[in-house]
Amino acid sequence: MARYDDMVEGFTRRLAKTVSRRSVLRALGGFLVGAAAVPVLPVKRGHAAGGAPDDETSCDYWRYCAMDGFICACCGGTARACPPGTEAAPITWVGTCRNASDGRDYIVSYNDCCGKSSCGRCLCNRNEGDRPLYLPANANDYNWCVGSKSGAPYHCTISRIMGVATK
Amino acid sequence: MSSRSVPSPTELPIAVAGLLAALAGAVPIGSAGAQLKPEPLAVTTLPARGSPHWVWVNDIVFHHMADGKAFLLDGDSGTMLGMLSTGFGYTGLQVSPDGSVIASPETYFSRGTRGTRTDVVTLYDPRTLAPTGEIPIPPKRAGHIPMRANSGITDDGRFLLIYNFTPAQSVSVVDLKSRTFVGEIDIPGCALVYPTGPRRFFSICGDGTAFAVRLDDTGKPASRGRTARLFDPVKDPVTEKAVRDGATWLFVSFSGDVVPVETAGDVTKAGARWSLTTPAERQQNWKPGGIQHLAIHPKRRRLYSLMHQGGPDTHKDPGSEIWVHDLAAGGRRVQRIPLTKPLTSISVTSDAKPLLFGIFIGAPELQVFDAVSGSLLRTVSEVGFTPSTLVTR
Repeated sequence: MARYDDMVEGFTRRLAKTVSRRSVLRALGGFLVGAAAVPVLPVKRGHAAGGAPDDETSCDYWRYCAMDGFICACCGGTARACPPGTEAAPITWVGTCRNASDGRDYIVSYNDCCGKSSCGRCLCNRNEGDRPLYLPANANDYNWCVGSKSGAPYHCTISRIMGVATK
Repeated sequence: MSSRSVPSPTELPIAVAGLLAALAGAVPIGSAGAQLKPEPLAVTTLPARGSPHWVWVNDIVFHHMADGKAFLLDGDSGTMLGMLSTGFGYTGLQVSPDGSVIASPETYFSRGTRGTRTDVVTLYDPRTLAPTGEIPIPPKRAGHIPMRANSGITDDGRFLLIYNFTPAQSVSVVDLKSRTFVGEIDIPGCALVYPTGPRRFFSICGDGTAFAVRLDDTGKPASRGRTARLFDPVKDPVTEKAVRDGATWLFVSFSGDVVPVETAGDVTKAGARWSLTTPAERQQNWKPGGIQHLAIHPKRRRLYSLMHQGGPDTHKDPGSEIWVHDLAAGGRRVQRIPLTKPLTSISVTSDAKPLLFGIFIGAPELQVFDAVSGSLLRTVSEVGFTPSTLVTR
């Protein structure tokens, strides 16, 4: 499958230089991250893989275990704050990611930043725990900007720690 | 496409004709030049009946979502025939059963990416690809990664059904005959639309059931209710990317089980499950995956599946092979088509000499296969930016 691999690698370089190949592969199927209005905290959703666990612009950053979209830290924001002039969508969904540095699982809220066109940088999609559209609380394919005042225009996604996950 | 027509010279705009005349007067023209008539301004149109080998490629244009597109291509020649410009967060068009209408649920903002949101169903003429009408609908159309079940047309071509997500879940019903919005049907806990007859559809629900609706002749719900449980959404959920086989929708689970959902009269129920993979292949982590990972040729009884090798949560990974199963032989696999390039969506034409189309959302290219032999016939480059889903007939 040499040509298959070449294709994926070429896509990686062209579209998302800061994103791991594995993450890009997964970026192909989904996109936006958000959350349920009444979230059921899904503990044990998945864990960040190796790579660059402390780099907020990397898809392998530990908080991004259920990320799906453009990383706001690459777009003028940070891992936890939307870029200037955007609106943070209040309706969100949560994942549970393990921080390899302390071995603990954290509940992470993913919020879409809305009101502008796509940032277009650092596309990241890790489908750990992702479920189909009939399970919205776990579906990262939705555009969760629908819950913002801005409406549908999606720019990028942040991740906020909400607490330590307890089993 | 030899039957494409051009306007007559009499349609030349006067200003352009005047310019050409002025130019002709300024430049000495020999006898050969004097006989040369200026070419008219022209716009192509398409034949009244398109080829069964035409394919629509829907593109959400993920990096510029205000600019959705749908490309029409001819699989035999590899030529592009035309395009629709389809607005924000595009999830794909529907073609009426008789091919006379293209219905496209679309979203627009008054300032491009801000301002007042307007949702419409735009109707396009299949010959000119020009908009011929708009039907306003509530600004609730679901935004998500494109998939075919975002909308659907009832079997008689009368009603267009559109999935809404605000995040409240409902279905908008549009009467394509009167060109009016009929109303909204709540589908709490359920998503998407799967037509099952001239006045029926179901949505698929988070508890593993379906929400089945029968419409009356005005498009209002005549009956509705949940089915028995069809699958286990916790242990092995099915993807939303089912294909239709007559009265049956074939869903596939993350692990590779085929879950037929059959409708007969008022009853929608699960049929006998079978697997795309052998136990040995499951051990080797072969799984279905992609954006539109299933395709079907009902008459030939062939089911096509994009397959890859991967661990848990790889249900959207692109396929490295297409597997072909014989529905008339209990799902026996009859073919494996290795791919040289990854694919995320496939579709098969329904004619006697079918073509199999494939696209990869990460590369703007259409691949065209002989659907019987599996051989790659041609590739068409520069098709969109993030080609998402395919529509064939």
